[in-house]
Amino acid sequence: MSENNEKKVHGLVAEYTSVDTLLDACRRVRDAGYKKTDAFAPFPVHGIDKALGIKPTILPWIVLACGLAGTTTGLAMQIWMNSIDYKYIISGKPYLSLPAFIPVAYELTILFASFGAFFGMWALNGLPRFSNPIFTDPRFDRATDDRFFLYIDAKDDKYDEGSIRSLFGETTTDYIQTVVDDDSSPKVPKGIFVAWAAVASFSVIPLLIVLKMRVTNSPMPRFHVFFDMDFSPAKDAQQTSTLFADGRAMRRDVPGTVARGEIFTDMDFMTGIDMDLLTEMNAAKAEQLVSTFNNPHFLQDDEEINVEKPEELEIDEPAPPTSESVMDTTPWLKKNPMPIDAKLLKQGKAQFEIYCAVCHGLNGGGNGLVNRRAQKILAATWIPPSKLNQPGLMQDVYPDGKMFSTISNGIRKMPGYSAQIKTKDRWAIVAYVRALQRSQNANIDQVPDEKREEILIEQEEVKQKLKEQAEAEAKAAEEAAQKN
Amino acid sequence: MSEHDAHAVKAADDPAFQLPATLSSLSLPLCIGGVAALLIGWAFGSSIVSARFGMSAYLTAFMYCLTISLGSLFFVLIQHLVRAGWSVVVRRIAELFMVMVIPLGVLFIPVLATLLFGDGTLYNWDDPNYASENHLPKDAWTEKIRWLSQDWFTARAIFYFLAWSTVAVWYFRRSVEQDETGERAVSDRMIYWSGPAIMVFCGATSFAAFDWVMSLAPMWFSTMFGVYIFAGSVLSAHCMICAVSFLLQRTGAMRDEVTIEHYHDLGKYIFGFVFFWAYISFSQYLLIWYGNIPEETHWFYERQLGVWGAVSIVLILLHWALPFLGTMSLHIRRRPPLITFWAVYILAMHYIDLYWMIMPEAHLEVGGVAGIVCSLLCLVGMLSLMFGLVLRVADQTKMVPVRDPRLQESLAFENI
Repeated sequence: MSENNEKKVHGLVAEYTSVDTLLDACRRVRDAGYKKTDAFAPFPVHGIDKALGIKPTILPWIVLACGLAGTTTGLAMQIWMNSIDYKYIISGKPYLSLPAFIPVAYELTILFASFGAFFGMWALNGLPRFSNPIFTDPRFDRATDDRFFLYIDAKDDKYDEGSIRSLFGETTTDYIQTVVDDDSSPKVPKGIFVAWAAVASFSVIPLLIVLKMRVTNSPMPRFHVFFDMDFSPAKDAQQTSTLFADGRAMRRDVPGTVARGEIFTDMDFMTGIDMDLLTEMNAAKAEQLVSTFNNPHFLQDDEEINVEKPEELEIDEPAPPTSESVMDTTPWLKKNPMPIDAKLLKQGKAQFEIYCAVCHGLNGGGNGLVNRRAQKILAATWIPPSKLNQPGLMQDVYPDGKMFSTISNGIRKMPGYSAQIKTKDRWAIVAYVRALQRSQNANIDQVPDEKREEILIEQEEVKQKLKEQAEAEAKAAEEAAQKN
Repeated sequence: MSEHDAHAVKAADDPAFQLPATLSSLSLPLCIGGVAALLIGWAFGSSIVSARFGMSAYLTAFMYCLTISLGSLFFVLIQHLVRAGWSVVVRRIAELFMVMVIPLGVLFIPVLATLLFGDGTLYNWDDPNYASENHLPKDAWTEKIRWLSQDWFTARAIFYFLAWSTVAVWYFRRSVEQDETGERAVSDRMIYWSGPAIMVFCGATSFAAFDWVMSLAPMWFSTMFGVYIFAGSVLSAHCMICAVSFLLQRTGAMRDEVTIEHYHDLGKYIFGFVFFWAYISFSQYLLIWYGNIPEETHWFYERQLGVWGAVSIVLILLHWALPFLGTMSLHIRRRPPLITFWAVYILAMHYIDLYWMIMPEAHLEVGGVAGIVCSLLCLVGMLSLMFGLVLRVADQTKMVPVRDPRLQESLAFENI
C-alpha cells in the first residue's frame, strides 16, 4: 500500500497478537515520550491506562456535577410546583414535605448522572464521528475480534515516522502501517439527504395536526384517547348501577354492622333536626326520617326495599335557587351539638380545607381553585359556590342544623358529603364555618387589645399594596388604550 | 487476563501467612477482659438503670457482633456464588468472623434466659399483662402471641443458629482443607452449595431480625426490617474486613498479598453499601410516613422525641451523608490508611444505628452517663471477646487461602 504516500498521513499503527505484547509496546511508547497515543483491544485491558500514561479522566467530576444538578432540579421542581405555584394538599401532608420529594430527587440524580456519564464520555472521546481514518485498513477490523493495535497520532509533537517505525520494530509486531485517509469520496450520498428530509417532514405531521386542532373549531365530538379516564366508571352516591340486582351503585352496610365511629343513637346529632319538635309538627315525616337511618327492612332484606323505592331525604328544600323566599318549617337544631373548643375548630379547619375549600375557597369567600378554573374556562353549566360569609347563611337565618344537613345531603349542584365526611367532622366543619363567617365580618373592636396594633399595621400594609396594585393596573390599562 | 507483572504465589508455609505473634499473644487477655467488661457492663446497667436497660445494652452489643459475623458469612457465600477471583486474599478474614456465629450462639443464651422470668424483662410480649395494660385489640394480640411465644421463639432461635453455623462451619472446614490439599474440586463444591446456602442465610437472617429486634416493639411491624438489618450487616462486614486487613498488614502478615487494588474494591463496596443502607432505611421510613397509620408510625415517632430525635438526625448526617461523600473518591479508596479510617468510622456508626433501633424500646432517655458507660462496656466486652476468639482460631490457620486455585488471579488483580 505504499502508493498511498501522497495522501494525508494521520499516524502510525502497529498490530499485536496478545495483551502482554501490547502492554509491553505501550510502556515503550510511553517511555519514549509520546503523548497522543491510543490502544485498541477487543475487550477492556486492566492496567492499560498506566502502561500508556493516560491521565485520569475528569468524567467522575462531570458525573458528580450532573448528579448534584439532578438532585437540585428534582427538589426545586417539586418545591416550586407543590409548595409555591400550585399549593395542593396531598394525603394531608404539608405543602413542603421533604420525604415525599426525595424519591423524585433521587431518580433525577441518577438520570442526570447517567446522562452525564454517557454523553460526557461521548464528548470527551469526540463522538459521534462518521468515520475514523484508522478504519481504512481492513486489517484493523480484527480489533473487535482477536488483535490488538497501538496507534500514534501524527499530531504528536515528537512524531517522526522513521523513529516510530524503529520503536515499533523493537516490539513483537509483524505489522506496522501508516494510517491514511479513506479512498472513498467524502461526499455524503444524495439518498441520505433525501431520506433525512423525508423523515423530518413526516415527523412534523403530528405536530401540525395538533396545531391545527388548537386553532380551529370542529363540529365533531371530542376525541377521547382514554375514555374511561375522561368518564370514570366510579359511581357517586345515589347513582344507579347495573352491576347489582337492586340497581344501587352504593352498597348498604352489611346487615347488622355499623361503620367505625358511626354508631349514634342520637337522631338530632345525625340529622341536624330537633326530632322532638318534628314529631310534634309532623309525626309521619319524623317516622320516615328515623326509618331511613335505622330501617329494619334495610337490615334484613335489601330486595324488598327496592320495591318500596323512595328513601330520599326530602326534608331539604327541593332546591329553588333562592331558597330564602320559601318558608322553611323544619325545626333545625339551633346549636351545634358538639362542645365547641379549639380542638374541634382545628378538626373542622382540616376537614374544611380538604373537602370544602376547593370550591368555597380557603376563607369561605366562594373562590376556590375549582371556581377559579371554571371562571377561566368560562364553563357554561357552572354555578358559582356560595359565599359562606353572606348574610343569608348566618346563624340567625341559617341554623347550624340546616348547614349540617346541607353538608350531608347537598344543595343545588353541590353533592352531599355524608358518604365521605364522618358525622362528627361535619359538625366540626359547621363550627369552623361559623368561625370563618365571624372572621370575615369582624370589626376591629372584637380583636383583643394586645393584638389590635399588629392588625392595624397589617391592614395599612395591605391597603397600601392594594392601592399600588390598582394604580399599576390603571396605568397598564391607560397605556393599552393609548396603544390602540 | 492481565497477569503481566509476575505475582509469585508464596509457599504455603511462608511466615507472611501466619498470624503475627504480637496479635496471637493478645488472644487470651482479650477473651478474659472481654468477658469481664461484658459482665460488669451488664450488671452495672441492670442494677443502676434497670434490668431491661442492662439486657437491652447486652442485646445491642450482641447484635453488633452478630451482624458483623453474618455479614462476613454473606461475603463468603456471595464471593463463591459469583465465582469472584479478586477477593480470595481477604476471604479468610471473612471466614474467621463468620465462624464466630457459634460462640455468639452461646452468648444468645442470656437473652433466652430473660424469658424464664416471664415478666417482659427484655421483650414486652413476654409480659402477660402487656396487652391489657396497653389496651391492645384482643384479636390482634392473640395472633401475635401465637408467633411470639416462649417455646416457638426459642425453637426458632435454635434453628437460626443451627442454619448459620452449619453453613459457616462447612465453608470454613472446606476452605481450611484446601489449604492442605489445594484441590480444585473443593472450590467447585463450595461454589455449588453457595446458592442454596445463601437462601437459607437470607431466610434465617430476616426472621432473626424480626424476632430479636423488631419484636421489642411487639405491635410494630415492617416487612423491610430484615433487609434493614442485612444492609447494616453487610456494610459493617466489609468495613471489618478492610480494617482487619490493614491491622494484619501493619503487624506483618500478608504484606504483598493484599494490595491497593483490594482496598479499592472493598472501598467500592463500602461506598455502595453506605448508600444501600440509606436507601433501605429511607424506604422503610417513607412507606410508614406516607401511610400514616398510627400502629406503624409510633415506632418512628418515639425515635423523634427528645434525645432520640437528635440520634435520628445524627444517623442521617453521619451514617449516610458524611461517609457517602467521604468514600466517594477513588483517591481515598486507593489509599489504605484513608479507607481504613472510614471503615472504622462506619463501624462506630453501625453501633449507633443498632443502639437507635434497640435502646428506645427500653423506654429511657439513654439512661444518663451510667447508661452510656454500661452500653459501651457491653460493646467493648462483646467485641473484645469476639476478637480474642477470632485470633485464637486465626492462630491455627493461615491468614490467606494459600492453595486456592484463584489465589494467583487475586494477587494479580487490577482495577484500572
